[in-house]
Amino acid sequence: MLRAGAAPRILTVTQVAALVQGALEGGVGTVWVAGEISNLRPQPTGHCWFTLKDKQSQLAAVMFRSVAQVLPFRPADGMEVVVQARVGIYSARGNLQLYIDAMEPRGLGALQLAFEQLKQRLQTEGLFEEARKRPLPRWPRRIGVVTAEKGAAIHDIRTTLRRRWPAASLVLRPVRVQGTGAAREIAAGIEDLNRLGGIDVVIVGRGGGSLEDLWAFNEEVVARAIVASGVPVVSAVGHEVDFTIADFVADARAATPTAAAALVVPDRTEVARAVAKAEAALAAGLVRRVRGARERISALQRALGDPQRRVTELTIRVDELGARARHALVRRVAWDRRELGALAGRLGRTGPAAQVRRAAERMAAARERLGFALGVRVRHDRAALEQAAAKLDALSPLACLARGYSLVRRGDATGPVVSDAATLAPGDPVALVFARGRARARVEDTEEG
Amino acid sequence: MAESGKAETGNHRFEEGLKELEDIVQRLEKGELALEDSLAAFERGIGLVRQLSQRLADVEQRVDVLLKSEAGKLVLRPMREEEQ
Repeated sequence: MLRAGAAPRILTVTQVAALVQGALEGGVGTVWVAGEISNLRPQPTGHCWFTLKDKQSQLAAVMFRSVAQVLPFRPADGMEVVVQARVGIYSARGNLQLYIDAMEPRGLGALQLAFEQLKQRLQTEGLFEEARKRPLPRWPRRIGVVTAEKGAAIHDIRTTLRRRWPAASLVLRPVRVQGTGAAREIAAGIEDLNRLGGIDVVIVGRGGGSLEDLWAFNEEVVARAIVASGVPVVSAVGHEVDFTIADFVADARAATPTAAAALVVPDRTEVARAVAKAEAALAAGLVRRVRGARERISALQRALGDPQRRVTELTIRVDELGARARHALVRRVAWDRRELGALAGRLGRTGPAAQVRRAAERMAAARERLGFALGVRVRHDRAALEQAAAKLDALSPLACLARGYSLVRRGDATGPVVSDAATLAPGDPVALVFARGRARARVEDTEEG
Repeated sequence: MAESGKAETGNHRFEEGLKELEDIVQRLEKGELALEDSLAAFERGIGLVRQLSQRLADVEQRVDVLLKSEAGKLVLRPMREEEQ
């Protein structure tokens, strides 16, 4: 119900919204609020919408791009945060809204959280995989260094390289290593060295410092530049205990710039020692080679034996072979001759001369047979004669006497032969005729036979 | 650039020389070379030892600073004494 007298002041919606806005600014102003992020809606514009809530209540919140992009970590649903916010009205909707000016994670510090988040993300991408990492060149010719021009890092690197391997030349890309924009400069430095070309390995780093001082090496832009580098990158952020993101993605990690320099080049002293060792090995190898050759020669010599004896042996053998050859030749000739003789013989047995000879032979044979027959006859007659003589002989008394008989003659040896005792009387002289010789005797008695 | 180019070649030759020296030593140690060849290899090896030792002793460190010109081009200039 409207009353005319005390006509109320009529406001537009916008005016009311402005009134409330003013009241909120005056009465509430900027506050620190603790709550949990939910219903987070990042916008393509870079603004970020979400709801901040606790057990009982919730408030709409917006974080504009200007704030969101400098936030080191990434807000996420469920994250407990403390925000610095102005409380106001979003007049288009008439909503109460928190305008976020700053955000901190609860528990972890913002940087720590940012570190954990980025680490998680890059790890998921596989950028920490050992398989992705490139080996460092053994003999780098040109080494790129991304660090502060006046810092301790470049000094340490130069000193170490000069001591270990002065043959490697250095290209320093000076950058700021801390403060706003440092990460971007470092990343650009890595890119520039790649663009320059002829660089074998890059050292990225700085001397020691607080977590905040080292922060640039935990930023994604540096990590991406390291990953994108065409040449191997060694991280050298001066800190012993913690790792930076750069350490995780670099091809090799050194705890200090000095260690990084030592990592990328060989040590001159060691190389010189290796060269000296090679020199000694050369000499030893040659000596061994010569000794080996000599041993082989003597072994061969032994195997060959005394050359003089060998010559003698060979001479003997040659002689022997010669003799055998001669012998074989002689035998051969003899055989040939025999063969020739046989042939000649066979030739001789035919032809007219042979016939003459055969006739002669036959004549001789006949003569021989004639002689033979004659001989047979003579021998036969002689045998008959001898037989007759033998018979005659047997009949001769002389033959009986030869057998022991004796002949008794009357009177003397010329008297008649006594063949009857009766003709004799005792006292008669008789002669006894033996085969050889005779005797005279007298008869003593006689008997009638 | 010309100078650093020469240094590069020198370093490159160092690497090759050392590799060759290692090969020679290995072949000599295996005794697989003919006597004549091992003598030649030995001489070559000693020559390399001399060269490499010389090179190790000689080299001076060289440092350049990479800068960006106003036109955005990359420029190398030697690091000055007072910066060292």
